[in-house]
Amino acid sequence: MIEFSSLNKWFGALHVLSDISLSVAKGEVVVVCGPSGSGKSTLIRCVNGLEPFQKGKLIVDGTELGGSEASLRDLRMEVGFVFQQFNLYPHKTALENVTLAPVHVRKLSKAAAEERGRALLEKVGLADKMENYPHQLSGGQQQRVAIARSLAMQPKIMLFDEPTSALDPEMINEVLDVMVSLANEGMTMMVVTHEMGFARKVADRVMFMDRGAIVEIAAPETFFTTPKNDRTRDFLSKVLQH
Amino acid sequence: MFWMQLDRVMGYWPVLLKGISMTVSLSILSLMIGVMLGFAFGMIRAGRNRMLAQIVGLYVDFFRGTPFLLQVFIVFFILPEIGIELSAFASGVVALSNVAACFIGEIVASGIKAVPLGQSEAAASSGFTRVQQMRHIVLPQAVRIVTPALVGQFVLLIKDSSVVSAIGLLDLTRSGWVIVQSVPNGLLVFGIIGFSYFVICYPLIYLSRRMERRGQATIL
Ligand SMILES: Nc1ncnc2c1ncn2[C@@H]1O[C@H](COP(=O)(O)OP(=O)(O)OP(=O)(O)O)[C@@H](O)[C@H]1O
Ligand SMILES: [Mg+2]
Repeated sequence: MIEFSSLNKWFGALHVLSDISLSVAKGEVVVVCGPSGSGKSTLIRCVNGLEPFQKGKLIVDGTELGGSEASLRDLRMEVGFVFQQFNLYPHKTALENVTLAPVHVRKLSKAAAEERGRALLEKVGLADKMENYPHQLSGGQQQRVAIARSLAMQPKIMLFDEPTSALDPEMINEVLDVMVSLANEGMTMMVVTHEMGFARKVADRVMFMDRGAIVEIAAPETFFTTPKNDRTRDFLSKVLQH
Repeated sequence: MFWMQLDRVMGYWPVLLKGISMTVSLSILSLMIGVMLGFAFGMIRAGRNRMLAQIVGLYVDFFRGTPFLLQVFIVFFILPEIGIELSAFASGVVALSNVAACFIGEIVASGIKAVPLGQSEAAASSGFTRVQQMRHIVLPQAVRIVTPALVGQFVLLIKDSSVVSAIGLLDLTRSGWVIVQSVPNGLLVFGIIGFSYFVICYPLIYLSRRMERRGQATIL
């Protein structure tokens, strides 16, 4: 589904991604962790073309990135992206946030989009918040709207960039629960997060990145109990403390 | 004496009314054209094409950096030299719309730049085209941010329209000149003219102030 081959990216002189090779299968959930600045965001932003790269190859759902604007748009319809800062549209209600792309991008009728939107907002537990504007919602509620907004496009792949990092602790679980059920439904997911409980529960593989490279990638049992690399061990000892 | 003069000025109400309607129609027409052109300028100025943004930037700076009276003269006296013959009214509309577009363009550009990048990234991630992102996501937010500044600019432009009296248009200012010929009390006549401008502009000033107050509450 997602296929990186020796992908390299630089920000000026800074080598942010070095020789990334990774393949994510259909239905697989890959959790990405690593210290701040290690290139996690940059990596998943490459997958839906938010970041261009200079060397190597990346094929997502059969489309090679770096092609035309039109093919990138077609790809983005199939790939949902959830941001750390939610990025909901502040001038639209929750329901409008969710229906906007289906109407204008998928060309669904307004009625069909609303039906789908209502069902999704219900699914993420926001049946009573459809007419609220983002600033009237808590962080956890906003992030659930953002997830519903992505799902409304019926994507084949979902990308999450630290979806719970901007949330107060008591709201983290309501968002993780939604993600867990999504994973259980068989969605292909790449999730940047430091929520190791989530990784244990649903990840097929956990990946540790440092300084732009993949240091270690393994199934959760192996990754957490017998990490091979010193840097992984060091990192795990820090995040698992809290 | 005063009351007699006031009475005489009031006898000139058709002239005054003509002046008011000229100023109002000149302003409305120019503002409408200026807004449309200004939004185009603003989108180019805040857009990705650096080259185009700089060309428009230079154009805008030129008109923001030269006296409006001079611009009116150029349109009215110099354009005919190169074969573009315009009536006084058309000249006024051209000059005023143009300068309006320049100021409005910069305001709109600042609004577009004030919308967080995450907004267009979120829209792009859902497959919106650049034009759709602008139309559905970025512009509506930018407009909310800059509406008070825009309305303030409208007021300045209505006042600037007085400059077109210099090319002989019977606008509000010129109607003052006409009346003062027969009622030689400049203070009284131009006091009334000034008050008329104020009456035209005040609703906008009031609106802008209200929006500024409300804006702080609704924009995140
Ligand atoms: N637009 C940019 N221009 C230049 N450098 C950038 C840009 N975006 C990111 N970087 C740099 O690239 C490196 C990787 O950034 P990235 O955001 O991918 O890290 P991250 O692993 O997501 O970190 P965090 O956990 O803090 O989110 C960092 O050193 C960062 O400073
Ligand atoms: Mg990051």
